Amino acid sequence: MSTAFTLDLETGFRGLLEAGGVSPGLSRLIWLPLPMLLVLVAAVVGVLVTVWLERKISAAVQQRIGPEYAGALGILQPLADGLKLLVKEDIVPARADGLLFTLGPVLVVVPVILSWLIVPFGQNLLISNVGVGIFLWVALSSIQPIGLLMSGYSSNNKYSLLGGLRAAAQSISYEIPLALAVLAVVMMTNSLSTVDIVDQQTGAGILSWNIWRQPVGFLIFWICALAECERLPFDLPEAEEELVAGYQTEYAGMKFALFYLGSYINLVLSALLVAVLYLGGWGFPLPVETLAGWLSQPIDAPLVQVITGSVGIVMTVLKAYVLVFTAILLRWTVPRVRIDQLLDFGWKFLLPIALVNLLVTAALKLAFPAVFGG
Amino acid sequence: MESLAQSLNAGAIAPEAAILIALLACLLADLAGERTAARLVPPFCYVGLGTSLVLLALQWSEPTADAFFSSFITDNLGVAFRAVVATSTLLSLLISWRYVERAGTPVGEYAAILMAATVGAMLLCGATDLVSIFVALETLSVSSYLLSGYMKRDARSSEAALKYLLVGSAAAAVFLYGTSLLYGVSGGSTNLDAITISLQGAGVTPLSALALVFVLATVAFKISAVPFHQWTPDVYEGSPTPVVAFLSVGSKAAGFALALRLLVGCFESFQTQWQLLFTVLAVLSMTLGNVVALAQTSMKRMLAYSSIGQAGFVMIGLVCGTEEGFAAMVLYMAAYLFMNLGAFACVILFSLRTGSDRISDYAGLYQKDPLITLGLSLCLLSLGGIPPMLGFFSKIYLFFAGWADGQYLLVVVGLVTSVVSIYYYISVIKMMVVKEPQEASDVIKDYPAPTWNLPGLQPLRAALVFCVAVTAIGGVLSNPLFTWANAAVEGTPLLQQVISNGGHLPTG
Amino acid sequence: MPPLAEITQLIVFGVLALAVVVGALGVVMLPNIVYAAFLLGGVFLSVAGLYLMLNASFIAAAQILIYVGAVNVLILFAIMLVNKKEAMGASPGVGLRRVLSTGVCIGLFALLLRVAFSTPWATPGPAAIGEDAVIRLGEHFFSDYLLPFELASVLLLMAMIGAIVLARRDVLATDIGTGESVDQGLIEKARTPLLMEKP
Repeated sequence: MSTAFTLDLETGFRGLLEAGGVSPGLSRLIWLPLPMLLVLVAAVVGVLVTVWLERKISAAVQQRIGPEYAGALGILQPLADGLKLLVKEDIVPARADGLLFTLGPVLVVVPVILSWLIVPFGQNLLISNVGVGIFLWVALSSIQPIGLLMSGYSSNNKYSLLGGLRAAAQSISYEIPLALAVLAVVMMTNSLSTVDIVDQQTGAGILSWNIWRQPVGFLIFWICALAECERLPFDLPEAEEELVAGYQTEYAGMKFALFYLGSYINLVLSALLVAVLYLGGWGFPLPVETLAGWLSQPIDAPLVQVITGSVGIVMTVLKAYVLVFTAILLRWTVPRVRIDQLLDFGWKFLLPIALVNLLVTAALKLAFPAVFGG
Repeated sequence: MESLAQSLNAGAIAPEAAILIALLACLLADLAGERTAARLVPPFCYVGLGTSLVLLALQWSEPTADAFFSSFITDNLGVAFRAVVATSTLLSLLISWRYVERAGTPVGEYAAILMAATVGAMLLCGATDLVSIFVALETLSVSSYLLSGYMKRDARSSEAALKYLLVGSAAAAVFLYGTSLLYGVSGGSTNLDAITISLQGAGVTPLSALALVFVLATVAFKISAVPFHQWTPDVYEGSPTPVVAFLSVGSKAAGFALALRLLVGCFESFQTQWQLLFTVLAVLSMTLGNVVALAQTSMKRMLAYSSIGQAGFVMIGLVCGTEEGFAAMVLYMAAYLFMNLGAFACVILFSLRTGSDRISDYAGLYQKDPLITLGLSLCLLSLGGIPPMLGFFSKIYLFFAGWADGQYLLVVVGLVTSVVSIYYYISVIKMMVVKEPQEASDVIKDYPAPTWNLPGLQPLRAALVFCVAVTAIGGVLSNPLFTWANAAVEGTPLLQQVISNGGHLPTG
Repeated sequence: MPPLAEITQLIVFGVLALAVVVGALGVVMLPNIVYAAFLLGGVFLSVAGLYLMLNASFIAAAQILIYVGAVNVLILFAIMLVNKKEAMGASPGVGLRRVLSTGVCIGLFALLLRVAFSTPWATPGPAAIGEDAVIRLGEHFFSDYLLPFELASVLLLMAMIGAIVLARRDVLATDIGTGESVDQGLIEKARTPLLMEKP
């Protein structure tokens, strides 16, 4: 699950190549795709784990055993699923629009994977600490509905079209409260960068996490994130009793796998971002200074650095998977809402609440600059 | 905080703020239900617009001040045009209530949207920054689109809104292209003063000529000058009549203010070019507007074409570039406000009673409703420029200014087309007055006895009587208006600078 | 490395510019409105890419969020909700009109090209401020662009209210003053032409 030490690894890696007689330009060229590849691998591995968890936890909830033959505890089951989808026939329905039909899933997956750029696993452990940070994710996730509409339309199937329209409607309705919740956090941080957001939550361990200062924002964000990922209770676009499988109805093989992959990558990404925005990111529940004190080491000693780095990665992933676990439990505890209830809830409840949350945060920031970020 | 408020000089937009508060009050009152809104909204609007006019009067002849880091300026010209806009909204609202209620559309939102258009138009009159100008222009335009489509169950209204939206958006796009060129010319400034300086420095280049043409096209669209007028008749015919009243006066006044700020101010070094272009536009507008108006059978459509012609007259003052020219322009806008809104008040009252706006249906109206007949006759005579109405004096002042400046072509065309316009104005009056009772139209034969007891009719009558009175008596007592118009020009550094540069170059 | 970086930049610019131009032409010329709408999304994305190349990452993200995420999705929504597969009737003289409009467009294009090439642009402009752009934007919004910024809120409020008024279904269908039922149309009723009125 690790990504690169952005600066350190790059210079180290290129130094190695250049020592071996490779020109600087070429070494840069060789380096460039590596972080992206790493993200892709990380995302896919994250998905495999999530799929396995989903199967196992669902089974546990329903008092079944779940997959058990493929590998120990069925741990290879997701891999087998993936392989099966990979070798299946790629069908484009006869009256469908081939071009849009193929482009749709791509447009759904690519923005989600791109958004992984901004997830930090440690102070320097992210692909790019871009200044627009979290805003980039908000913007990129708004491309998804286009892909959904495209696949819904091009399938030439009424269920697909309805599913695509529902998905897009849901996506744009919940994006607004989501962005407002993020804005409240950004306001406290004075920065859009995900690294700054986490940095602002360090200092007092678990007590400095944003969840205590933004409880409402946390709930809004998590609900909206579930809606954006089309997880139950918000899986209207694929509601099988009503729409067969929504916009995925006509898809098979690898294109279906892309949707599948996309939705799970999105789930993991959302969980990671909740961890980053509200649960202190890579921060350990105890302050690093306390830990260093126990080891009686100075804070910048290499050993402590390595330990904090590893702890950071573990903490981020751990927090994210706790949230994934909640999402899976929610799936089997909460019934699906109706589409009108969904839209009403988004526009008439979440949006006003998110606005009030933003205003209250601004007021608190003015009143108590020490606590709510000056 | 204090120092920021002072450096902003936010008091400059106090008149707009008053309207904005009234707007919000209307929206809140609307929450209490349609009946409460119908009772509360009119007083809110009167208070807001009245306060705004009082605040404008207080700003009058104050030393010119920059506000919002030179995004806005309070010179007398701006104050005069803002007053024209605010008054036109007040009068339009007075004649609206009954119409809107009769159509069964929500009153609160109507007033709110109209006041938003007013805020946009008023800010447009004083804005001195391209971004402010554009946002103000869009506020005015978007509200106007919404208002023209307000009678949503009527296909004509929806058609008007759609046409207006499409043409207006195209004009906005052209304007943006022009302003982006200006931004490039000035090396990255959106302020009009900075742009003026860089335009003067650069001289006449293809780039600035292109920017001029693009900006001019938008201004011409806003004041519906021929050949940018195609939207006008359809939009005026399909929009609710009180909205047309506002569009023909308030929106047009804002357009002329924009023309003064951009063309006279910014493109001062291009005076020859834009004066030539405006001469063409004025000649075309006067000719086409007045000639096509002859053939109309619908009163609203006739007034639409006549408003195109009237805009042509106002352009004479703009082309002159002399003190008298600008003063005549301001004066004519003020006079046009009263005579046009008076005419619209009569037309609205007639259509409320009969459900018709065809000119032939006015036949024999004199027998049944002397008030409408008198009011409409006086206003139309004034629009045609018959002495001793207000319109006569302001028109003669325009022609005088044009003649003094050597714009002989414009003045001659203006005189000829005035005669044409008198023909079609008089033919309406003839229709109303001269016809014998047996020649009256079917509509007039069934004409209901005039009553004033319905809510909203009293304000309509008040506005009608007020406009007609000003139109009729204002002509004789027009001296205060002359002084006012002259003071508007004298209290405006921008215009004074142009005039003192002696910069009028005869082109006619 | 500068050559490599420059070449990459040039290639990326070429691709983006081509995407913008071809996409925009497609939006205008394609007869299938759904394709046009999707291409519009592509054009918006490419423009965001151009902003990114100009070191304006915040504007690029905002462009994606607003134009792709909101405007284009709404356009697609509208198209898909009213998707009637009716070919537009051929209007008379459409060929002549096409020729004329093509001529005007080409003329305008030539004019703009000439202006663009004959103008001594003050290049390079001010240096890009990169990541500080967000802060700078905020400062401008609350100082010299405060007036348009605040006015934009009035504009948006009004657009929202107007859209709701025009779109809502539960309309008041009575005259408040008299209680009569009304039809929410213009008071001036459209009538058949004069000649057809009387037999």
